[in-house]
Amino acid sequence: MRVADILKLLLLVWLAIVIVAAFLYVRPAEGFIGESSRIVFFHVPMAWIAVLAFLVSCVTSVMYLKRREPKDDIRASVSAGLGLLFAVLATTTGSVFARIMWNAYWNWDPRQTSITILLLIYAAYLALRGAIDDPERRASLSAVYAILAFVTVPFLVFVVPRIYWSLHPDTIINTRGANEFDSRYTQVLMASLVGFTGLYVWLYTIGCRIETIRQRRRQEVL
Amino acid sequence: MSRLLAEAMAVAAKDLRTEFRTRVALNALGLFALTVLAAVSYTVGPYRITAEDRPFLLAVLLWIVIFFAALAGLDRSFVKEEESHTAPLLRLAASPTAVWLGKLGFNLILIYLLMAILVPLFCILMGYKIMLVGGFVLILVVGGYALAVITTIVAAIIARAMTRGALFSVLSLPLLLPLLIFLIQGTAGASVGTSETVVNTLRAVLSMGGIMTIVSAMLFPVVWSD
Repeated sequence: MRVADILKLLLLVWLAIVIVAAFLYVRPAEGFIGESSRIVFFHVPMAWIAVLAFLVSCVTSVMYLKRREPKDDIRASVSAGLGLLFAVLATTTGSVFARIMWNAYWNWDPRQTSITILLLIYAAYLALRGAIDDPERRASLSAVYAILAFVTVPFLVFVVPRIYWSLHPDTIINTRGANEFDSRYTQVLMASLVGFTGLYVWLYTIGCRIETIRQRRRQEVL
Repeated sequence: MSRLLAEAMAVAAKDLRTEFRTRVALNALGLFALTVLAAVSYTVGPYRITAEDRPFLLAVLLWIVIFFAALAGLDRSFVKEEESHTAPLLRLAASPTAVWLGKLGFNLILIYLLMAILVPLFCILMGYKIMLVGGFVLILVVGGYALAVITTIVAAIIARAMTRGALFSVLSLPLLLPLLIFLIQGTAGASVGTSETVVNTLRAVLSMGGIMTIVSAMLFPVVWSD
């Protein structure tokens, strides 16, 4: 077996353990209704991966503008798509949690508002890519837009929800610098973060390979 | 430095001159704003909103009209260059940063012209009372600037794409939404008289405008010379 296959299997086992641990290894936390505190093991990593994916998209866009190599453009578009997917998942898990805790899926809480804007920005990125035919122009214009879009990410994800009072529970990166969770929670959360990062890397690698093959075939047809 | 400014002013002057010849963007901006204002004033008017809701709801309506009028007309400066095939000549004639500054100046003039006509009319027709007029004017000036900066870079990006009109709105609106939210809150605050809200809004909008200015200045040469 190749190294990649072993890593893939390891990822499967790791995530399986994380999911089982999220339900059996930890008890529901205080201050949360029912079992809803368990959602933190999925919601937080997905939000984290979305930001990471958008960062990768921005960095590869900058590299494309410098080097003008098609593979950087492929990386940027794949990562932006994955970031959008994980952001949608984070939003969905968040709204399920909101329904349990505060009886409403959506109430335009500052965090919900800023994540909606983020989703719209990256959906617009995909719309821009679809609207330009010429591959080089598409690559450079979407690289510019990806950089522009990422400038708003720290503002929307980290600044705005802290300026306005929000129902969203205290985050890991909080002003007191304290970790509110007990040690089991922290262990499973860290394990989940690592697992989801591995999932992102795996999806990203596959996506880039598929897209490279697709582009090569398109060129062969021409 | 003065060469850059001279080139930028030449670009802006050229755009203004051609705009006043054909008046396409002016018509788009002006007629859209006036039509919506007439519709809102007729249906809602000064009496249909309760006194406690007025500051906020009227702020919302005002900024929606300004934003959508801007989306109707502000992509004109770049799309016109592509349509009349004068873009290559402009690339030869001026440096990218000068072109960006000139187009930004042109969009700023359009926005401020729109506001100068629309805002007094809106306040008169809708009976919108503003307590902190100075703060309100500052919000308009700073908000208009941020609006112009964002729409200029997005217009530059979409001018080279296919489905320009729809794409301009799709790309601009998510970037403009946070700005819109802040401006509405600030205007409502100015109407009621809470200077703290106004100051917070000005701070947020200035920082947004500042960041977008720097990023646009760095990215525009890439978009333009592609």
